[in-house]
Formats: sequence, structure tokens, C-alpha cells
Amino acid sequence: MDPLFLAYSYFRRRKYQQCTDLCSQLLEKNPYDQAAWTLKTRALTGQVYVDEVDVDEEGIAEMVMDDNTIAQVSRPGTSLKQPGTGKGAPSQGIRPMSQSGRPVSGFVRPGTQGGRPGTMERAIMTPRTAHTARPVTSASGRYVRLGTASMLSTPDGPFINLARLNFAKYAARPNLAKALFEYIFHHENDVRNALELAALATESVQFKDWWWKVQLAKCYYRLGMYRDAERQLKSALTQQEMIDSYLYLCKVYVRLDQPLTAVEVYKQGLEKFQGETTLLTGIARIYEGMNDMDNAVKFYKDVLNFDSMHVEAIACIATHHFYTDQPEVALKFYRRLLQMGVYNGELFNNLGLCCFYAQQYDMTLTCFERALSLAEEQTLADVWFNIGHVALGIGDMTLAYQCFRLTVANNNDHAEAYNNLGVLELRKGNVEMARAFFQAAMVTSPHMHEPHYNWAALADQLGDLQSSFNAAKRAVEAFPDHVDSKELLKQLRHHFSLL
Amino acid sequence: MPESKDQIKEILPKQGLLYQEDMPTVVLCKPKLLPLKSVTLEKLEKMQKEAQETVRQQEKDAQNQQLDWFS
Repeated sequence: MDPLFLAYSYFRRRKYQQCTDLCSQLLEKNPYDQAAWTLKTRALTGQVYVDEVDVDEEGIAEMVMDDNTIAQVSRPGTSLKQPGTGKGAPSQGIRPMSQSGRPVSGFVRPGTQGGRPGTMERAIMTPRTAHTARPVTSASGRYVRLGTASMLSTPDGPFINLARLNFAKYAARPNLAKALFEYIFHHENDVRNALELAALATESVQFKDWWWKVQLAKCYYRLGMYRDAERQLKSALTQQEMIDSYLYLCKVYVRLDQPLTAVEVYKQGLEKFQGETTLLTGIARIYEGMNDMDNAVKFYKDVLNFDSMHVEAIACIATHHFYTDQPEVALKFYRRLLQMGVYNGELFNNLGLCCFYAQQYDMTLTCFERALSLAEEQTLADVWFNIGHVALGIGDMTLAYQCFRLTVANNNDHAEAYNNLGVLELRKGNVEMARAFFQAAMVTSPHMHEPHYNWAALADQLGDLQSSFNAAKRAVEAFPDHVDSKELLKQLRHHFSLL
Repeated sequence: MPESKDQIKEILPKQGLLYQEDMPTVVLCKPKLLPLKSVTLEKLEKMQKEAQETVRQQEKDAQNQQLDWFS
């Protein structure tokens, strides 16, 4: 068989490694074989390709020293930095919060792992915990690490030596330039060279190709030049309406912290592409980020009208139902996910919790056993934490204690487990131990209100009124509507005024 | 979904003999549903793991070669 034909066949079947090997052989015979060269670049790109719309990694530097936002203190409901009003969302006492003060989502994407911490202090503290590692800037993030690793794994150096490439020559040849650009951008992660190539290429086609404009925007986005990215994308959209361009434009607006504009753009896109699920999901994500659960769930349901297999929508709606006191409805959604073939520790953990709270006790422990056997290191701690809750529910305090201990053994900065251990110790009457646990919880995640409040209540009973006052103030800061903390604070204020 | 507008208000009896004691109790952290991972995230993590593996393997090979060379 013709080796080039075979290589193409491998490429179509996504057997990129075999395709690359074959192309390398062809190129050894004839180094000027353009077909083989293009195919090899495309195969190498395919190996590491991830959808650029979904990838979003925000480093500490971008986040804290962000000078793109217009106002430091924005009006409520217009910024993603402030958690928002919480319309239709369950209270913070029921649904756990992430560090940014938003309810935990039912679904994680590359950008949503950390959330935006509000202050420099928090931003620097956050990555200390082993499980939320955040790069200092996105320039040192995952992309670069992947790039260097792929370079190391090729023993005879990189396939294309970018420093020796004459970009002007390649830019004039559209058949080679597009593959080369994707190779530089995705495989080498060399944004600056990619930008140079894209700029030359768009010039050589007299600025008439929307594709190059979108690629330029991608480069600008990675380099943090958001306004330039916006201009390129708008120009691309006037030439050719594409879903991808809309998604990128919204990504730029989200980074510029203009969620309402982003929603507007999504809606413009929806007028052209009716029922496009990626656009609908985008709107839902933004509402979720602004803690506007009514709208978020509405749009997720819209997504399900068009695509009933949409994992993200199902997971987010299920999470919402669980935390608004309808575990049996959540159970239905999670079971649907299981039918669809999602099979991992997280899902079984959620199923177990839903079963327990929907009073289907026969399935609970089986689900958790499955979750334990499937879970990876990072989720194992959370699974044990939830089993601890089941144990608390059936009144088996010893088992609960052991479960929380195991949580801490698996992840030694699991603040929730420390807090619950403190509560259990207090029940046993070990005040000193309880204090130590509450303190550990307070230090590891200051955004939670429970340990602050517990510490305050305990200190109040022990007569240490000053530290009780301070802790209660921190609890109210973390959760402004917490009645018990406010009550305690009122009592203490009254007490102090009598002195 | 619970409607936030017409929530039922609690009725607190104000007449007659009434004994009320509010004990401040400590609170537990709530159970946590785990978020599912998106396909992109899973792919990124897989790629990262594989890349680390290859690099580690290469380093090991290089070490072994050095050892062979010395002995």
C-alpha cells in the first residue's frame, strides 16, 4: 500500500503515533515531501489538541494585577468578582462555598477549578494547599509544562526548528500555513511565534480570511491583550458568523469581567444559531458564576431541551436540586448520567449521597463502596468525608470519627473534616482537642463560616470573650446572613457595653 | 423548586406561658457533592500524567546508561 495513504488512514482513525512514525520515514527518504510534512504536523498537533475555548487557566498574576477591569468596586450583579446576590440559590449554610464565595458547581472545567480569590492575601494562600495548585502566571502554567515534556520525549530534538523558520515564506502558502500555525500554537506552545506567523498570513490574504483573525485573537488572548483580541474577533464575525468566534468573544469579555456584555453576545449568537448548546451553556455558566441560580438552571434546562445527553447541564441541575432539598430529583438526574456511561468515583459518590438523603438506604453503601474503589487520590478524601456524614446520619459516631480521620489522612488540608472532627471531639468533652481542630479548619480555609462560628461559640462558653468576638466577626464576614453568628455577636456587644 | 416569594412564615406563639431556651450549638460542615470533570479537563490531566511518565522514564534510562558507563 502507498505509505502516504496509510498514514492518512491512521490520521483519520486518530492513531497519531503510527501516523507520525510513517511520516517520519517518508520524510527521511524525501525531506521536501510537503504532503508528509503537513500530515506530520497535523498528527503531532492532534496528539496534544484540546479545545481552546474550554481551556482557561488564570494565574495569580493575571488575577490580582488585573488592570483590565473598569471599576474596582462594581455595582452588584455586573461583575464576576463579587459573588452576586444569590437569587434563587440555597443559603450558604446548606450549599458549601468555594473560595471565591460562590456555591460549588456541579461540574468542573479547566478554568473553574480555583475560582477568583478576592484579595492578594487569599490568592497567595490558596495555592499552598496541595489540591488547588495554581500557577503564578498562565505563562508558566500547564501549557508550558506540556510543551517542554513533549519536546523532551522526542530524542532527536523537535520536529520543526522554529528559530530557523522563514515565516514569510510559509505565510504566503495557505495550505502549509494553517497546519504550521496549529502546530506552533498547540504543540510547541510558542505563542509569540504563532502570533508572528498569523500576522504575516492574514496580511498575505489581504485580511480576508476570518480564520486567521480568530487565530490572531487566540494569540492575543494568551498574551493577555484582551482588547486586541476583541477587535480581531469582531472583525472576524463581520466577515463570517461562526459559533467559535462568538464563544471566543465571550471568553474575552468574561476575562475583562463584563459578564452582562458576554451574555448579550451569547444572545446575539443564539439569534443566528438557534438552539446551539455551547452558547446556551455559556450563558448558564455566567449566571452560575454570578450566583444567579434561577437563571442558570433555566438555561441549563434549555440546553437539555436541545441535547438531552449534555453532561454538564445534567450535573449542574442535579446539584441544584440536591441543595434545594430535593435529593430524589437529583438522584434521577445522576442515574441518567450513569445510564449514559459516565462511570467514575465522583458520580458514585453523588449517587450515594442522593440515595442516603432520599431514604433509599439499600443502595447507599453499595454506591459508596463503588466510589471508593473508583476514586482517585484527590477525590478519595471527599468520598470518606461524605461517608462520615452517612455515619453521622445513622448515629454511628465511632464510624463517623474514623471516616473523618481517614479524610484527613488522605488530604491533610481538608478543612471541612477538621471542623467536623472538632464537633465530634466537643461531644466527647475534649475541649482542647476540639479547639485545635477548629483552629486547623480556620487556618486552612478561612472562607468557610462554620469553623469561625464554632470557635466563637466554644470560646464564648469558656469565657474567652475577646477571641469569641473576633471569630464571630470573621464568621459574619464569610456568611453575612448567618443568624447564630449575628446573635452571638449581638450578645457579646451587649456584654461589652455593660463593662 | 421552592419559590422564594411565598415562603411559609413560622408562627411563634406570644401569649400564655412560654418557655424558650436557645442553646447555641456548634455546626457541622455540610455533605459535599463532588463536581464531575469535563472532557477537556480529563484530557489535560491525562496528557500531563503521560508527559510526566515519559520524562521520568527517560531520566531513569539516562541514569541507567550512566551507571553502565561507569561500571
